[in-house]
Amino acid sequence: MNRALGLVEELGWRAVALLLAAFMGVPLILVVLFSFNQSALTSLPLTGFTLDWYRKLFSLGAFWPALWNSLIVASLVAILSVVIGTMAALLLARMAPRRAEALIAIVSVPMMLPALIIGVAMMSYFVRLIDLPLGLPTVILGHLVIAQPFVILIVFSRLATFDWAIVDSARDLGASPLRAFLTVTLPIISPTIIGAALIALSISLDDFVITFFTIGAGNTLPTLVWGMVRTSLDPTINAIATLLILLSVGSTFLALRVSRYRG
Amino acid sequence: MLRRPAWDRQDWLLLPAALIFVGAFVAPLLYFLVISFWSVRARIMRPDLTLKNYIATWSDYYDAMASTLLIALAIGALTTILALGFSYAIRFKCGRLEMPLLFLALVTLFGGYLVKIYAWKSILGREGILNKFLLWTGIIDEPLDALLYSVNGVVITLTYFLLPFAILPIYGTMRAIRPATIESARDLGAGRWAVLRDIVIPQCEKGIVIAFTFAFLIAAGDYVTPRFVGGGAAMMGHFIELQFSLGFNWPMGSAMAFTVMGVSLTLVLILRRLLRWSLQP
Repeated sequence: MNRALGLVEELGWRAVALLLAAFMGVPLILVVLFSFNQSALTSLPLTGFTLDWYRKLFSLGAFWPALWNSLIVASLVAILSVVIGTMAALLLARMAPRRAEALIAIVSVPMMLPALIIGVAMMSYFVRLIDLPLGLPTVILGHLVIAQPFVILIVFSRLATFDWAIVDSARDLGASPLRAFLTVTLPIISPTIIGAALIALSISLDDFVITFFTIGAGNTLPTLVWGMVRTSLDPTINAIATLLILLSVGSTFLALRVSRYRG
Repeated sequence: MLRRPAWDRQDWLLLPAALIFVGAFVAPLLYFLVISFWSVRARIMRPDLTLKNYIATWSDYYDAMASTLLIALAIGALTTILALGFSYAIRFKCGRLEMPLLFLALVTLFGGYLVKIYAWKSILGREGILNKFLLWTGIIDEPLDALLYSVNGVVITLTYFLLPFAILPIYGTMRAIRPATIESARDLGAGRWAVLRDIVIPQCEKGIVIAFTFAFLIAAGDYVTPRFVGGGAAMMGHFIELQFSLGFNWPMGSAMAFTVMGVSLTLVLILRRLLRWSLQP
């Protein structure tokens, strides 16, 4: 009796896990499916395979500049935030843990704030106070604010199990701090750093709200999607959404793989 | 701990991160706080020192504020409970599926904020997949209209969006609990509820607090979701955004934003106290 009850409980928990996994996965899969579906209605049943929505998307004048902007911004954000974040994490990892944790909590505040507030605060500051023209540079600054805490957290937690003795040996043998970093520390933590860069890349690719307020004129992929969703419900949106999923889920996927994420 | 020798002190390493943080986050936020005390005359913002924006926030938007907080509370609680259930299930009950399932959850972390909202818009509609599915199974006879353009739509969509972010910290703290600990507690006669209350929740307290705070604050300040799938669901984010896109009343928008964040943070702190207090043995 007790045994049977235990089995039911075990199966129940598995069902919870699988249902929630389906809840998380299925909507994205549907978007991808519908981008290849002939019918102009985003609903079941599927009516047949087509690439028309992609053809339509690629012939859209606004698509290519938006893609280009997204790629420029995201790659610069990835590179800059990884350099800046790794530098910070290297110092934090060797501080007293309490102090390091307090500092990390402070730089992580932007993660907890709604993007709307960060976005409008930045826009009013750039436009009215320091008179910085809005454009891709201001978008990059905005993305750095939200991406750098992720990079710092990821690299910092990797360094928590790092054996500093080998760096010290290198230093004792006469290596400069930079040389010791490049030849000892960097090769060991490079998977984590690549992972962090890819996470920063997908954060930037994915961001809509901060971009919307700081870009001025022009589009990135998400702001283009915003315009399209507001004006129509045509499956071209599914096609561009599929591309966005491919880019951001793809880089998150790679990030988890290369950094061998284990919780 | 050994103190590091002087030649290894490299405080400058923190400098670029600090510059970005202060220059592109703290300074804008402070300026934004300052303009919440300014006034607007003839659509032009003028330096001032007035509380009238804050007073107007309370008198004009108290109902939107209340519904925002309620919706955000529901979303925060639902997201945290689902993340706790998911983390518990994959950590202790799924054996070798633990890593693949975690992987799946985290891969969707940055899978397109707008894409996700758009996906739910097409799923929840009258002609959407969910209604078709429910009709097909015979659970309902008439398509449900209350899914989209309602509070339900906002809660479903935002919970969906926030869930992976909530799983991350909760699963992270749950990893520290070894399955053997739970088994021995059960062997010693602890019931399910006792295991949850005395082992799982206290161990994951930090993760739970982070997950709830994150979900609650982000939900309280969102405006894209209510606009797309919320219909009449009046949330503060929507009204804040209008001050910038249509109203050109930045001081008002700023006062509204700081009011929402202030009230939300206060609520989070109170709830945190309550959790601490309820966990005391």
